[in-house]
Amino acid sequence: MTAKDLLQLEHIGHAFDQGRIVALKDINLAFGESESAAILGASGSGKTTLILVMCGIRTPTRGVVRWRGEPVTTLKQWTDLRRSEIGIVFQDFNLFTTLTAAENVEVAMFGSPASGAERKRRVDRALDTVGLADRATHLPQELSGGERQRVAIARSIINDPKLILADEPTGNLDSKNAAAILDLLFDLQKARGSTLIMVSHAPALARRCARQINMKDGEVIDEQVTRAREEAL
Amino acid sequence: MNHVELAFRNLQRRQTRSILTILGVAFAVGSFITLYGLSRSVHENVTRSFEEHGSDLTVKRRGIAEPFGGTIPEDVIPEIRKIPGVKDVTGQLLTFAATDKGDNVLAAGWSPDSFYWKTAPLKAGRLPYPNENKVALVGSEIARALDKKAGDDITLLGDKFKIVGITDFHSIINRNQVVVKLADLQELTFRPGAVTFLSIELEHPGDKAEADRVSKAIEAMGKFTVSPSEGLLRNDSLFGLMTAVSSAMAWVALFMGVLMVLNTLLMAVLERTREIGILSAIGWSKERIMLALVIEGFILSAFGSLVGILLGVAGSKFLSSIPSIGRYVAVEPTIPLIAATAVAAVVLGVLGSFYPAWVATRASPAEALEHA
Repeated sequence: MTAKDLLQLEHIGHAFDQGRIVALKDINLAFGESESAAILGASGSGKTTLILVMCGIRTPTRGVVRWRGEPVTTLKQWTDLRRSEIGIVFQDFNLFTTLTAAENVEVAMFGSPASGAERKRRVDRALDTVGLADRATHLPQELSGGERQRVAIARSIINDPKLILADEPTGNLDSKNAAAILDLLFDLQKARGSTLIMVSHAPALARRCARQINMKDGEVIDEQVTRAREEAL
Repeated sequence: MNHVELAFRNLQRRQTRSILTILGVAFAVGSFITLYGLSRSVHENVTRSFEEHGSDLTVKRRGIAEPFGGTIPEDVIPEIRKIPGVKDVTGQLLTFAATDKGDNVLAAGWSPDSFYWKTAPLKAGRLPYPNENKVALVGSEIARALDKKAGDDITLLGDKFKIVGITDFHSIINRNQVVVKLADLQELTFRPGAVTFLSIELEHPGDKAEADRVSKAIEAMGKFTVSPSEGLLRNDSLFGLMTAVSSAMAWVALFMGVLMVLNTLLMAVLERTREIGILSAIGWSKERIMLALVIEGFILSAFGSLVGILLGVAGSKFLSSIPSIGRYVAVEPTIPLIAATAVAAVVLGVLGSFYPAWVATRASPAEALEHA
């Protein structure tokens, strides 16, 4: 771990059901700025729990999560980070069915000091970035699966986060849409210089990331790092 | 888009739930306004009917529970007339009397020298002559209901009376009242020399000290209760019972309505647990999420109150249109009652949103997101 790290996980453990089910065991990981990483593993390996710990949606039962070296311990700290520094993309999109594509994106800007006009401009730009400028007024149920995930991605980048966490972002998509979504995520990561951490059980997808972290039974069993990352370190 | 716009969009696009919740609030508000208005209207209509006759104080027999059960001997009238501050005194005998079609009407007997005659606004016909017997003045509503006009006959307690005039009072009781000569009604009800109430006209109607002096002087004569016209029914146990029953119905309706509304709001929030998890995941604080839910509760209860007021007014008109009710009371919800009920409903809606919002935001974001 280095001072340049964006996110650090130190001795993270997580257990459910009063300790009877152990989901994470002593995880130690660090992620720098602008890098891409894939967390791989079979179902039940703990990869989704890990990504939820990384954004504070799950609180670890032991260990410390640090953001830029500072421990993140309170609900408010996590709320602030998720509002401005961390964007999340879920497998099942998690859009509001009562809101249009543009409103789904804008809702992530509540609490930001941006004016109404500024918000609209940024929402339009985000939807344009994900190729949905002409679908802004459609409700999620009027969009295809790929389009819904694009809305979710637009929402995740609307506040220019430093870290994008994606939990099986292509899990509910056909291969054509999946490829398009991955292209979009990697393009955004490169263009914006943000860190992208993806959960997947598909090795082909993971190979596009600079790091592949393999998990099994709640533990990191193996980590492969590309030359680019090694050089960066 | 701000919080209010967001709330409106959510409610607009969940039309069925929003309409059902609004109707829930509306029925609670409407039924309370109607039923509580009914409970108040008995008292208000009786008060108005006395005030319309220019009566400042009303004297009745002390200790009798039924409103028309007690009688007062007419021969106390000259004695009361001598009390300083008393301008005039008149007696009135009241009873429910069977008429032509078996309907019961409120029959009043007035003495020939009663100051009540001066207050009777005529719509048609004339007032009875002082020495004329077996004649009647019929209120406009009951005349319409019984299809009677001046010159027709009306049967009261088996005796025929000639209708000499149709009155056009404001109060619903007086509009449904048949007025005959006091002696005729005393004879028909076997109450010679007796009246139900005495009405006192004061020298200075607004002078409370004078009213108190006169009241004390009359009560000192024994066995009488004196009250201002608006307080006539205050100590009447029968009217008290009626008011208590109708008030209790109103409060029960309100209580059930409140429970229904709270349940609806609770379910509306809890079924959106996953959405709350998403909001949390995208960086909404608990306070912001609660604010959004409470704004929705406010909008729902405000619209519900508005519809409830309309329902309450319509319900009151409907009750008044039922002959067996409308003949005796005009259910007219007052502005303060409407305002207080509407404000209470909105406050309740807002407070009622707090609990489910608090419950919903207590769950961890992960649990909320796992919610189906």
